[in-house]
Amino acid sequence: MLTGKRDVRPHRLGPMQAIDASMRTYQESETVDYCIVGVGSAGGVLLQRLARAGSRVVGLEAGPFWDTERDWVSDEKGAHELYWNDLRITGGTHPLALGANNSGKGVGGGSVHWAAFTPRFHPSDFHIYSEDGVGVDWPMSYWDLKPWYELLEREMPVAGPAWFPWGDAHGHPYGPHPLGGVGDILVRGCTKLGIRTVAGGPVAILSASHGNRPHCIYRGFCLQGCKVGAKASTLITHVPDAILHGAEIRELAMASRVSLGRNGRVDGVVYLDREGREHFQRARAVILCGYAIETPRLLFNSACPGHDRGLANSSGTLGKYLMAQAGNVIAGRFDELIRLYKAPPAHAMSEEFYETDPRRGFARGFAIQTVGPLPIAFAKQMVTAMRVWGWGLRRVMMDYNHWATIGVLGEILPWEDNCVELADEKDQYGLRVPKVTFNLHENDQKLIEFGKKKVMEVMWAAGAKQVVQESRFAHLVGAARMGSNPASSVVDKFGRTHDIPNLFICDGSILPTQGSANPGLTIQALAARTADYLVKQREFIFSTERRCLEEPPIRYDLSPPFTRFKGNPRSA
Amino acid sequence: MKRSFPWRPTGSEIRNLRQPGYYARFSTLGQKKAWDDATLQVVTQRVERVPSIRFFTPQESAVLQAVIDRVLPQDDRSEDRTIPILPEIDTRLFENHLNGFRYEDMPPDQEAYRIGLKAIDEMARDRFGRFFCDLTVHREELILKSIHDGTPDPDHHIWTQMPVHRFWALLMEDCVTAYYAHPWAWDEIGFGGPAYPRGYMRLENGLPEPWETDEERYEWSVPIDSLSEIDEDGSPAAHGSLQGHGGSH
Repeated sequence: MLTGKRDVRPHRLGPMQAIDASMRTYQESETVDYCIVGVGSAGGVLLQRLARAGSRVVGLEAGPFWDTERDWVSDEKGAHELYWNDLRITGGTHPLALGANNSGKGVGGGSVHWAAFTPRFHPSDFHIYSEDGVGVDWPMSYWDLKPWYELLEREMPVAGPAWFPWGDAHGHPYGPHPLGGVGDILVRGCTKLGIRTVAGGPVAILSASHGNRPHCIYRGFCLQGCKVGAKASTLITHVPDAILHGAEIRELAMASRVSLGRNGRVDGVVYLDREGREHFQRARAVILCGYAIETPRLLFNSACPGHDRGLANSSGTLGKYLMAQAGNVIAGRFDELIRLYKAPPAHAMSEEFYETDPRRGFARGFAIQTVGPLPIAFAKQMVTAMRVWGWGLRRVMMDYNHWATIGVLGEILPWEDNCVELADEKDQYGLRVPKVTFNLHENDQKLIEFGKKKVMEVMWAAGAKQVVQESRFAHLVGAARMGSNPASSVVDKFGRTHDIPNLFICDGSILPTQGSANPGLTIQALAARTADYLVKQREFIFSTERRCLEEPPIRYDLSPPFTRFKGNPRSA
Repeated sequence: MKRSFPWRPTGSEIRNLRQPGYYARFSTLGQKKAWDDATLQVVTQRVERVPSIRFFTPQESAVLQAVIDRVLPQDDRSEDRTIPILPEIDTRLFENHLNGFRYEDMPPDQEAYRIGLKAIDEMARDRFGRFFCDLTVHREELILKSIHDGTPDPDHHIWTQMPVHRFWALLMEDCVTAYYAHPWAWDEIGFGGPAYPRGYMRLENGLPEPWETDEERYEWSVPIDSLSEIDEDGSPAAHGSLQGHGGSH
């Protein structure tokens, strides 16, 4: 039970799980070990690991600490509060729609409303500059991250096929889900064209019960927050264990500035509470987990003498190399009924076109994945894809149950001109709002055109009588990228800023490239690896400039309960 | 005011329906005993408590209502089963519920509506010498279709300050969000509605749950001179999606 803060009722996370330990609270005058800004995909994992290792940690979360039974609804419009809806300005040749779909607000962050597809990145993703002369290489390899991929697949845990044949081929801890109507169309169309598919995952959705979390009931509201507790979010997978081990989460706490103290080190975070009152949490180290827009925004807003271009921005790359993935949705109309609202939106896919094929005339590739828009999202897609309005709109929507939707998930390369900056306007906290600029380049446009046509072929092959498509984007990463050269990157391979030894960034913003895999699993795996690194470094983080770049040992003993005894089938 | 009716091949007008669409006996609200409390409260409030108009002036409300009646027509629905759209848009603007972003070349949503409605009304007077609300359905559609097509006729200086296709996208997003959030619209399209804690058990082949119904299709045509029928030869918008991207991937 959360004492004193909210209700006297247990804080419920799904119908059968509750936080029944009282949460430890720290005074602001106390200096904690770590102040984590943003308790989302990465922040939730870090908070849990560090608390379990005995660190004193406080997580500041701009949104609410959800009680899923009370706060979440099985309703599309009613789920609006799960997103980061505050004002952001968007521009460029291909402006990104922000808010819904690519950023969350509240404990769990974006993992609350992700579709939960959990493919790993391919080994090739970590060195596309060496292989194809595009983008940039990571300062680490797939093999460095692999142990944490496997561990997070067990912690979430991931359900999927016994054998996933692409990239570093592997199997999954929990069995695949049954196929829904849209997955059936994807498998049917791909099979006709000789394209390999997998079904029933990989998704971080339970196909069998896990501790106090029941398995999926196939209601299709994954993106509206899983009331069932079957879909993994750090809110239910890692936060309860973090609280149990003494972490504090302050909800409705909006960080406004990271404070630079003496000796070029940060000494805490200034934040505003729900009434707009300013507070200062002292910390021996700070980890920013605010994702690809809020993290660079906070660092820009933390500019101070000696760091006039923003904190940790001596390279001038902060805010740059922002990436979204191509997310074209191809919709096909079938004579038979599909009822695409049933089953998890994410449940069948192919990565057959993931790697570079020189014959296609562009570098890198794309994935093909099921999507399952509910009526409002589908209506918006039809308004764009078919340009319907008036009676035409009403007529198309009456055929909602005859449509299937498949998404392209395409790799867009990191470009310097795709960036986050500050606009002049201020938000409700009096903080300058972010401005996001996004332009497609030639390789991106060729890739999107090819991917779009290929998925339209799949839809026709599945027997669609009409096929339309909508251009859009999915996910956000980059804007504070990792690298080994401090002149061209913001953080090192463990997320430590090059400029300030006790300031870390650990979220999607540190990704140098993005592949065509959904980023959620990779973000959480990187967070667990950084946590293990911090645990190993201990006092060195707080008191020295020493920058150790050795891979840390993986700490299996820091996993949440119910992680042990599950497997990750693999060939070697 | 209902004034433009779809029709059946038999020649009869389709009007005064309690439930349009192909799922005549299906009711999501009839299933509310299977919903969780939080969802029940949100959906019930949406149906039973229609907010009052607080943002728009009476004049603006009249123009916007006339626009809504054409961009998301409900003339086939009976008065008591008409889904409120204007009050939902008004509430969003009054309470400043944002969708998380604004295009750099757009004014704030509130201002976009104010100047967009002004432009539409002035276009009506320039072209037909009357207020927009006083035009015939066909003339209203002529003006709205020109905005939909991105070629406002007659042109108006507002559209040099605000990209016309972005205004259209904003308007359509708000209209479909209000309409397809309503359980009567779910009944119309055969969407199962809230599904917790019960869930679904028939996932494949478009099969209905025991509490859903099968589709019963019939032929119908849009009003004879309507300009808003599906354009089968139309191509998708060159600029791609301008609406919020929630609910996909």
